[in-house]
Amino acid sequence: MGVIVKKVELGWLDRTYVWPVMKGMAITFGHFIRNLFTTTAKRYTIQYPDMKKEIPAGYRGLHELKRFEDGAIKCVACYMCQEACPARCISIEAEEFSDLNITQGFEEKRPAKFSIDMLRCIYCGMCEEACPKDAIWLRNDYEVAAYDRLSMKYGKWDLMNTYAEADGKDRITEDTTPTVPRRTIVM
Amino acid sequence: MDMLASLLHMTPAIFWMVVKVVIVFSAIMLLASVWTWVERRGSAMIQDRIGPNRAAIFGKIRIIGLAQLLADGIKFFFKEDLVPEEANKGLFWLAPFLAFVPALIGFAVIPFGKSFVSGGVTYYLSVLDPGNGMGLLYPLAIGGMAVYGVLLAAWSSNNKWSILGGMRAAAAMVSYEIGMSLAVVTIFMTTGGYDPAEVIRAQGHLPWAWNIVHQPLGFIVFFTCMFAETNRLPFDFAEGESEIVAGFNTEYGSMKFSLLALAEYSHLMTASALVATLYFGGWQVPFVQNPTVMLSVASFLLKMLFFAWVFVWIRWTLPRFRYDQLMHLGWKVMLPLSMANLVFHAWRMSQGH
Ligand code: SF4
Ligand code: SF4
Repeated sequence: MGVIVKKVELGWLDRTYVWPVMKGMAITFGHFIRNLFTTTAKRYTIQYPDMKKEIPAGYRGLHELKRFEDGAIKCVACYMCQEACPARCISIEAEEFSDLNITQGFEEKRPAKFSIDMLRCIYCGMCEEACPKDAIWLRNDYEVAAYDRLSMKYGKWDLMNTYAEADGKDRITEDTTPTVPRRTIVM
Repeated sequence: MDMLASLLHMTPAIFWMVVKVVIVFSAIMLLASVWTWVERRGSAMIQDRIGPNRAAIFGKIRIIGLAQLLADGIKFFFKEDLVPEEANKGLFWLAPFLAFVPALIGFAVIPFGKSFVSGGVTYYLSVLDPGNGMGLLYPLAIGGMAVYGVLLAAWSSNNKWSILGGMRAAAAMVSYEIGMSLAVVTIFMTTGGYDPAEVIRAQGHLPWAWNIVHQPLGFIVFFTCMFAETNRLPFDFAEGESEIVAGFNTEYGSMKFSLLALAEYSHLMTASALVATLYFGGWQVPFVQNPTVMLSVASFLLKMLFFAWVFVWIRWTLPRFRYDQLMHLGWKVMLPLSMANLVFHAWRMSQGH
């Protein structure tokens, strides 16, 4: 694509430099005065630890592994997210379990281990899209940092509880034995 | 005052001198360091930012970011003082001082207030009393020395970017010195003397009698050249951080760097004091025939700080010139302009004005 460069002919006034410089100074002084009389809270800068940005819906931040109302994990360890992940940072180990009250024998599946390496994750949201059970969400927490690499590896219980405080839910640290068959629960 | 002097076993004259030296130079250093804050906050406001406001004393007292000065000072003190392996160590150490001292002592002859008589003795409010024979030639000559510190800093650090910056500074200096000198010479000519006290007295207390009204062209040339001389944007070729890393102070760190920075701001203060003295009537208070000493000092400070602010203001308004534009401006515009200014005023004087 060709671009036509327009040559601007400067008038004599512009070529003296003095007048354009004064015009420029008027502009910068206008900004200066305007900011002098605006409180810092009202300026464009968001002063981070004190003020935080409004996170738009659909933002891709820290993951959450969703749970049912009774606290059981929604994930069925289908490995779809692990396959979809372009950064290869999800690793899952599946296990069988039995909801003894409803069916006999081991016939349900869930992850025994589920870990995401947050240092590798690029927050692309592919895992969320791939998940057939809507069990993994990327939500609005962007303050993911730690002092060492190991604590950036989020395990199953970390991921289940990432938004527990924000949502006002209890932290859960062990799998609850389901009381209702999975398929009957409405999401 | 005599009592204090005798307590310290000094003659009153020497005591007065010491007092002046201490007050003037510490005031300039203080102003220079405060001006780093003004520059940062001012630039932030000009660019719709906020600027440094988080440094706090005891985690509480923020005083609109002024605590940043202390924080910076402490940080600079505790930083590791690196000297490049291949650097010329002696000169590398010396250079910040050579940049700092001329920037500071140029102020020595500038009167910052009206002289007053006390006990039959006239006290002049300038470090060197008028009639010292050097007059305004002294700050000009010393100002020329300042580039030496920059060049030396660049040269001794044995870094290609630094030497480029240093060479540019030297070249800019040479091309702007002449135009500036000619502008000043015009003032000497119309005043009939080169003593700052005389220059100020000749301008009087009426704003339309000041040199700015008579010689606006000279003012523009002089002020522009001051930018080149103090190495500030739009003429900060010595630093040029987008082109040559950080120019002459690439290799500098810790206190040496802060001394270079302080040198820049002290130079800025001296330059603004010069502008105020030469073109804006120095300590003269507009429309006041016989101001009190305090009023005259306040007036001088106000003018000086205003020009120091203009230095900051222009820095954040204009982009850096290209090197060839600088040369073009220096040799083909500034020099002929100041020459024309000189010739015009010589002609006017010959006509008896
Ligand atoms: S957001 Fe992307 S990179 Fe991160 S775990 Fe999900 S699929 Fe992998
Ligand atoms: S999070 Fe979703 S996609 Fe990943 S294993 Fe669990 S159910 Fe499958």
